[in-house]
Formats: sequence, C-alpha cells, structure tokens
Amino acid sequence: MTRAGVATAVEDHAAPEMDGGPGARKGVQPAGGRRRTWSRYRFWETATPYVFVAPVLVIVGVFVYWPLLYSTYLAFFDWNFVAPTKEYVGFDNFVRLAHDPRFHRALWGTLIYIVALVPAQVFLPLGLAVLLWPIRRSRAQAVYRATLFSPTVISFSVAALLWLWIFNPLQGILNKAIVEFGFAKVSWLSNPNTAIWCVIVVSIWKTIGFNLLLYLAALEAVPNDYIEAASLDGASGWQMFRLIRFPLITPTFFFVLVTTIISVNDEVFGAINVMTDGGPFDRSTNIVYYLYEQGFRNFQIGSASAVSLLIFAGTAALTWVQFRFVERHVHYG
Amino acid sequence: MANRDASAIRRRRQAVSRRTFLRGASAAAGSAALAGLAGLPLARKATAADKPVEIVFMHIWGTPPGEKAADIKHPSTLLIEAFNARNTGVTVRGETPSGDYYATLSKAQAQMAAGKPPALVSTPWSNINFAVQGLQVVPLEKLGGNELQQVLANYKEQVLPLVTLNKQTVGLPLAFSCPVMYYNNDIMKQAGVDPAQLFKDWASFKTLGAKVRAVTGNPILGLGNNADWEAQSIIQCNGGRVLDDNAKPVWDSPEAIAAMATIADINKAGLYLQSTTTESNAAFIGGSLAIWMGSIASLGGLSKQVKFDLRTAPFPVFAGKPRKMSSGGSFIGCYARDKDQQRGAWEFLKFVASKEGTDIWLKTGYLNSTKYDAPVLPNQDAAYIELKDGLTRESPWPGARGAEIQKIWGTYVSRIWAGDISAEEGCKQAKQDVTPLLPKT
Repeated sequence: MTRAGVATAVEDHAAPEMDGGPGARKGVQPAGGRRRTWSRYRFWETATPYVFVAPVLVIVGVFVYWPLLYSTYLAFFDWNFVAPTKEYVGFDNFVRLAHDPRFHRALWGTLIYIVALVPAQVFLPLGLAVLLWPIRRSRAQAVYRATLFSPTVISFSVAALLWLWIFNPLQGILNKAIVEFGFAKVSWLSNPNTAIWCVIVVSIWKTIGFNLLLYLAALEAVPNDYIEAASLDGASGWQMFRLIRFPLITPTFFFVLVTTIISVNDEVFGAINVMTDGGPFDRSTNIVYYLYEQGFRNFQIGSASAVSLLIFAGTAALTWVQFRFVERHVHYG
Repeated sequence: MANRDASAIRRRRQAVSRRTFLRGASAAAGSAALAGLAGLPLARKATAADKPVEIVFMHIWGTPPGEKAADIKHPSTLLIEAFNARNTGVTVRGETPSGDYYATLSKAQAQMAAGKPPALVSTPWSNINFAVQGLQVVPLEKLGGNELQQVLANYKEQVLPLVTLNKQTVGLPLAFSCPVMYYNNDIMKQAGVDPAQLFKDWASFKTLGAKVRAVTGNPILGLGNNADWEAQSIIQCNGGRVLDDNAKPVWDSPEAIAAMATIADINKAGLYLQSTTTESNAAFIGGSLAIWMGSIASLGGLSKQVKFDLRTAPFPVFAGKPRKMSSGGSFIGCYARDKDQQRGAWEFLKFVASKEGTDIWLKTGYLNSTKYDAPVLPNQDAAYIELKDGLTRESPWPGARGAEIQKIWGTYVSRIWAGDISAEEGCKQAKQDVTPLLPKT
C-alpha cells in the first residue's frame, strides 16, 4: 500500500473520533501531518444527519427555545406587542405578581388541581387497567376501553357544553336528580365551594382514557412466564400485582406521573375557559388561566411573560424532583 | 497505482472539513434568511399595487343564535356582501375569530404584532382607551378628511361623544346597545303579575317578584352579560357613578353602595339566580327562568329561540330617581397602517354609515345610532325608552391596565350580588385593589 493509501485508511478509521475524540487525544494523525479531511463521500456522510435533524432543530428552536428566550426578555418590559415603544420595568412585573391577590388565588387553585388531579389521573387509570386486564381477550374490554377513551378525543369545547347542560342550576340533569332525593338545587358552577370540583370531575372524565391505554399496553408487555411462575408458586392476585406486574410497568407509571404533573394545569384550562371562566370570584382559576387572562384579555404581555417564566421554573423543579427521587425506583428491565 | 494516487489527490482537493461544512451551511442559511427578509416586503408591495384592495373586517357576529349558517346570514355578512356588490375596487372580507369582544380584540392584537393588522375591528366601547393608547387606532379625521363631517352628520348627537376621545373621532358607531329586561310573559300571566308594576322600580320588583317565584319555584332574575355592565346602569340610576370624569373609580359612594346592596337584597330574597351567563341564558330560553337581564342586541336571537311569549321592559328605577342607563356594544376602529388599506377602510365605513348600510345593520336588533328613520322592531321599544331617558358611555376603563381593572370590579360586583361580601366592604375593597393599576397621571 502507498503512503497515500495508508493515509486514507487511517482517516477512515479516525473519522468517527475526530474533533477531540479519543483518536485525536491519542495523537492519531493522517500521514504527512496534514489536516484531516473527508472525501466527497464523507461530505454526504457528515451532512446527512444534519439534514435529517435540521427540521426538528428548526421547529424546536422556533416554537420552544425562541419563545422561551423572548418571554424571558419580555418579562422585564411593559408592552402589548403593538405599542411602538417597550418600557423597561426591571422586576416590576414579578413584584406586582407577588402583591396581586388574583395571582395568589390562581396559585392556590393550581395547588388544588395538582393535589386532586395527579393522583386521580395516575392511580385511577391504573386501577381501571388492572380491573380490565383479566378480560383483555373479551369484547367487553373493547367496549370499556372505547367508552373510557372516547372523551379523550372529544374537543374540550364540545365536552364542556355537555357538562354545562348537566350542571345547569335550573334545568340540569344533576339538579333534577338530587331534587328527586329531596335535596335543594345547587348552582354548581357559580358556587365558590363547588365550581372547582366540577372542573376537576370534567378533567378526570376527559383525560382518564389516555393513561388507561398506556397502562393496558404496559400490562400487555409484562412477560407471561413470570406470571405463570408466580401462579405455580401460589402467589395471590395482589402479590402478583405488587411484586411482578407493578415493578415491570414502573417505566410507564413514571412516564404517566411526570407527564401528568407537567400537563395537569394545561389540561384543565379548556374546562375552566368554557365552564367557569375562572369564576366564581376567581375560585376555579389556576396559574395557566391567569396567564391567559393577563396576556390575552388584559393585554399585559410583560406580566404574562413573567407568569410563564414562573410556570417554567416550577415545572422544571417538579420534574427534577421526580427524576431525582422517584426514578430510582423505576425498573427499566 | 498511479491512478490510485491521482484519485486520492483529487479526493483530498474536493474534501471538506466539518468546520468548513458548518461554516458554509450557516452562511448559506443566513444569506437565504436575509434574502427572504429583504425580498418579502418588496414582493408584497408589488402585489398590492397590482390588485384591488382587499381589507379585513374582524368582528364578533357569526351565525345568529337559533339559526343555521346555511339558512340565515347575519346582517354583518349582508352588509359586507352589499358593499362588495358595489364593485368599488375595495373588497371587504369578514372574519369572526370569536363571539367574544375581548378574544376578537386579542386576535386582532396578535395580527397587529405580526405586522398584518386587520383594517377594521369591532372594538368594545369599554376598550376605547386601550384602542387609542395601546393599539394606536387611526382616528377618522385621518381617514375621512373633508368627507368626515358629512358622514358624522348622519349620527345622533348623543352618540358621537361615545366615539370621541381627546377631540378625535376614534371610530364609527356601529353596535349600539343597552341592557334591558327580557321576560317570559307566560309566567307573568300565571303569576297574575302586571309586568309594568313589576318593573316600575326595584322595591316593587322585590315585592312582586316573590309571586313570580311561586310559579316556577326558581329564582327569577338572571344575568346575561359581564356583571360590571349592568352594575353601571343600576348605580347610575341611583345617582352614583362607576368612574368620574377623570376615569377614577368612584363606585364606593353611598349611592353606588346602596344600588349594589339592592341586588344583594334581591338575592337574599331568593330572587336572583347565581349562575354563569351561559347557564342563565339556557335557563331563560328553556322557560325555567322568568327574567333575564341582557343586551338588546340579543333580541333577534332570543326571539327565534324561545317558545313562549317573549317581552322586554326597561330596567326598574329607584323610586323618585331618573333612569340613566349605560350604552354598550362596539364601534368600528381602523387599525390599518397601509395607505391603501386605510383608503379601503374609509370606503367601507362610508357605506356602513349610509342609509342602505344602516337599514341592513339594524336587522340585528341593535339601536339605531343614526338620524335615518328606521322601523322599531317588535320588543325593541324598551331600549328606545332607555335611549330617550339618556344613555351614558360604557365605562372607558383607564390606562394600559384598564381591562384588568374591569375584571377586578366585575368580580367584586358578582361577589356583592351573591352575598359573598357586603356591598360597602366590596365596593371599598375593589377600589383598593384597582388603585395600584390606575395610570399614574
């Protein structure tokens, strides 16, 4: 082999480890000490991954990172997107939030939604999935699955209209039912003590089906050998769930937990918007709805940006806590 | 062997390093972006010069309630179609992003931010300050020039101040409404109550209302709009005001507090329905609720939806005091920055203000804000009584945070009426809460 041929061979082997890779650290250089280069073939080999990744990078950059950066910037201004000048206000938008009673109520509502909806959306579908699992080969399960999943694919506007009819204080089916039992009519959506629970019920009904499907798919993937072995050893149903099935579906459980905590306050937005408008007296609002009101009803873009940063920080912190303290119990197999 | 050497040298000459590749790709992407940014406006200008002007009129009026889109067109659509049929070289395209004024304004704001402002937007009276200070609405003086006075001469004198701010006409009056009492006359007959006596004043409303309640077993009065709008009328009828001439809140005056306490008392008597506006509307249409406070603009929709004898009445007054209701609705504001778009907008506004345009528009049920003769629709007379008694401007919420002030006050109104807080405490707390949001000057 000529020196050129040897050089090419060396390049071919060193290529994946260039630019500070192990090859570079070891001082592997092409013959003659020339700068390592690629052939035309190598050009396309290098370019192709960038070409494939570029659309995603552009989309993520434009729709995730750029808004994040721009929101951070806007949080320090008083501006409405249209006025010719932006007024720099420093941390005023954050200070104002700290003193705004409506923001405090929104934070309180956010906490209630998390405390009520996260267990409901994580454990209720798990329980339903376990109940449906024994009848997985029957048609009945398909009916249950379709019944429970169908609310997920209905738009919130349509779903909320249905529930508005159910909750109507004078004509609603719910009040007609409770009057039959001798109780007084309730203004479900206008009573400060009941409105938030109505939103919670609708949100559970709307979102339970998706997590149920995830759990059913995870249970399906549990190897039957383990179940049969445990069964031969005389394990009870509860023991099989606690010691075999649940540990093996913990990756799905962890995924559901993380995504539910991240999305729970977004998911109730539709119900709040259509059913209660955050009322009565801001008692069913949450931080996402507060953000929407600040940005798109009150036209306070700076204030809304400040809220969005707080939501981002809070969500990131909660997610970190879960990965730090919960993920260690997940069995990835 | 010689061939292989030559091939290797050629490959090396043609080779590209990773750094070179990334630099080249970045430069190409940057150049393309700059070329795109520089080229787009030019292309747009060239296109605009060649084509007739098309303008967007963004508004809230979609399919009328109780109708199917294919059957009946809203008068706003008929208005646009009648104008386009004139072939003036200006084409108007209607857009209805939402049936809610604030959502529509928000959508318009987003388009303005994107550099594509809709030429015309139905802008609520209450947002007049925001339209001027926040959205830089183009005053009609700039659009209409010498033609403006001729156009404005067609409007009633009491209407023009509603669209005048700082001696400039900020838009064309269009949707001109006021709150009225819609009632189910079948229920009134069953209760043996004379509606004229029931709605005479708030004291008689409370007394006779109990007889109406006895028929349905339900509260009798529901709210159809944002509570702050009706509250303004009730406060004014008792001699109070919501905002003073400098747009400072004065809703904690004894007159205002007493007016707010009146509805709270009606609630205590079991006559006021605590509900969302959607719920009260559904209950009224369904015949479960006897009386619904709503805008006269709802007349057309309600007339088609109800299956009972629908009637309207002016708002009750406070004994010995004159009726002084608040107007409501929206004006058409021009937000176009482009000269051609502004020219197109003015052409359309002139048509809206014409006799032909007015005749089409008044099919909505809104009040006639012009001097043209127009027939009063059945059940519309209650609104004209209120107009005759004198309608004031809907509260022009002050400054950049006006919408927030309106929301806070509206929440307190709801709390007071529902008995969640006393009228005095609520009015005072509301004033405290909004004070930091008021403009400094």
